[in-house]
Amino acid sequence: MLMTGAQYIESLRKLNTRVYMFGEKVDNFVDHPMIRPSINCVAVTYDLAHDPQYADLMTVKSSLTGKTINRFGHLHQSADDLRKKVKMQRLCGQKTASCFQRCVGMDAFNAVFSTTYETDKKYGTEYHARFKKYLEMVQENDWTVDGAMTDPKGDRSKAPSAQEDKDLFLRIVEKNDKGIVVRGAKCHQTGCINSHEHIVMPTQTMTEADKEYAVCFAVPSDVEGLFMIYGRQSCDTRKKEPNADIDLGNKEYGGQEALVVFDNVFVPWERVFMCEEYDFSGMLVERFAGYHRQSYGGCKVGVGDVIIGAAALAADYNGANKASHVKDKLIEMTHLNETLYCCGIACSAEGYPTEAGNYQIDLLLANVCKQNVTRFPYEIVRLAEDIAGGLMVTMPSAVDFKSDTPVLKDGGTIGDVCQKYFKASPVASTEDRQRILRFLENICLGSSAVGYRTESMHGAGSPQAQRIMIARQGNIEGKKALAKAIAGIK
Amino acid sequence: MKCGVRFCGGCNPRYDRGKAFQRLQEHFKDRMEFSVAEEGVLYDLLLVIGGCTACCASHSQFTFKKMLYKMWDESHTEKIIDGLEKEVSEI
Repeated sequence: MLMTGAQYIESLRKLNTRVYMFGEKVDNFVDHPMIRPSINCVAVTYDLAHDPQYADLMTVKSSLTGKTINRFGHLHQSADDLRKKVKMQRLCGQKTASCFQRCVGMDAFNAVFSTTYETDKKYGTEYHARFKKYLEMVQENDWTVDGAMTDPKGDRSKAPSAQEDKDLFLRIVEKNDKGIVVRGAKCHQTGCINSHEHIVMPTQTMTEADKEYAVCFAVPSDVEGLFMIYGRQSCDTRKKEPNADIDLGNKEYGGQEALVVFDNVFVPWERVFMCEEYDFSGMLVERFAGYHRQSYGGCKVGVGDVIIGAAALAADYNGANKASHVKDKLIEMTHLNETLYCCGIACSAEGYPTEAGNYQIDLLLANVCKQNVTRFPYEIVRLAEDIAGGLMVTMPSAVDFKSDTPVLKDGGTIGDVCQKYFKASPVASTEDRQRILRFLENICLGSSAVGYRTESMHGAGSPQAQRIMIARQGNIEGKKALAKAIAGIK
Repeated sequence: MKCGVRFCGGCNPRYDRGKAFQRLQEHFKDRMEFSVAEEGVLYDLLLVIGGCTACCASHSQFTFKKMLYKMWDESHTEKIIDGLEKEVSEI
């Protein structure tokens, strides 16, 4: 079944998801003005799958059932599949200019699929068969799934079991013949409120002393004991203003993160995919992170495409589009953006089959990709702000532009004043100029900056996490040997 | 004459693929039956409309009797029209 965006939104209404914001329970999160843009964003991933102009990227044949499914539920079967994943993400970024939130689930599916296969091989467990059954259900229902990895972590100098409060890493608190009970939390969970399900994975490589933290499982969003506390974003309450439109910058779409709390949640065995096999926790983390670092070479590029377009429009509207330095800045933005895309495509093209049969990205190139993503979007928005000019943050509100309050000696209104003094090139109306500058404000430092900037820095692991992987994968000894051979050193 | 049409996924098209297709439809009006390609249907021709030089749309799953046409640039539209005109004239 391929859901439409409207069907997806309706499916969320059927869940009893517990959401809290500003200290209170949100009874109808689907229509909440601060949450709805992020739901609209996920809905795009459903609607695009029904459009023949995008179906080649958005849909694929399931390797499990042979049925046509949304690519966000797919196990990558080739390097071509990995490339198409990146292209799909670029497309979704272009259509929403936001984080569309559905990648974490896809990356979790692929990481859990291959890790459970290898865990079973060593321990004779049955996680892989369970996971395949679970994934068939996900594909059949076209669910959005949160891939939950990051724990609160508490004191970073201490291991999970050494923390004063043991719940600072999510852990197994009880095992019985029916399943396990888990307690803890997952931080920064992208799209978690908009998800039908959550797949929970360990946050880091665990040791034997921390084996109760080596756990992977899936639960529905409305399982008993699970709730979420919404993460607020810069300028987010603009969305609650009456007739909010132009000042939002991106009225329709947005991203979302929240804290997901597991208050002694029961998980039946058929939904458990790792239980204390701590020696496979590192493999799961590394594979998930690898896929997710590849993802950023697609999604942020798509958003970057929109930012470059917006900066070019701002230049047109300001009448500055013929200035050579403006043209050069647009070239630089494009160069940076396409470099990220190159990285996303490269780590996909060099993908390889796992023992389980699905394809894994090249780990070194994926980490290089994400390392660049921690930097280039910041330069792209810096250049966008440079081109846009200070007005993107000093402009009066949209209400002022329409105000009929008289302020001039001749009876002219606030609206007249705004229209007069903020008119620029004749190629655009003052309102269109307002719209593009507000879009840039929103993506550079408003609510969408969460997704484009800080998520680029810390999502899928902070810069140092990639540098550790680059150090491990960089083959310095091999490079030394090359230098020795050329230099004639025996 | 039935022509199945497969678009690439459109991640970064360098031209408006939909408009190019519309132009083909308008040109051939009642002389060619265009439809979005589906598996299990036998077409006379298959047309792949890519958005860039990669022209990466999957198409091996579709069946056709005569000829596969590919375009990945707006400037290819004329060539496609010429090719399809020949196909139509051979009926």
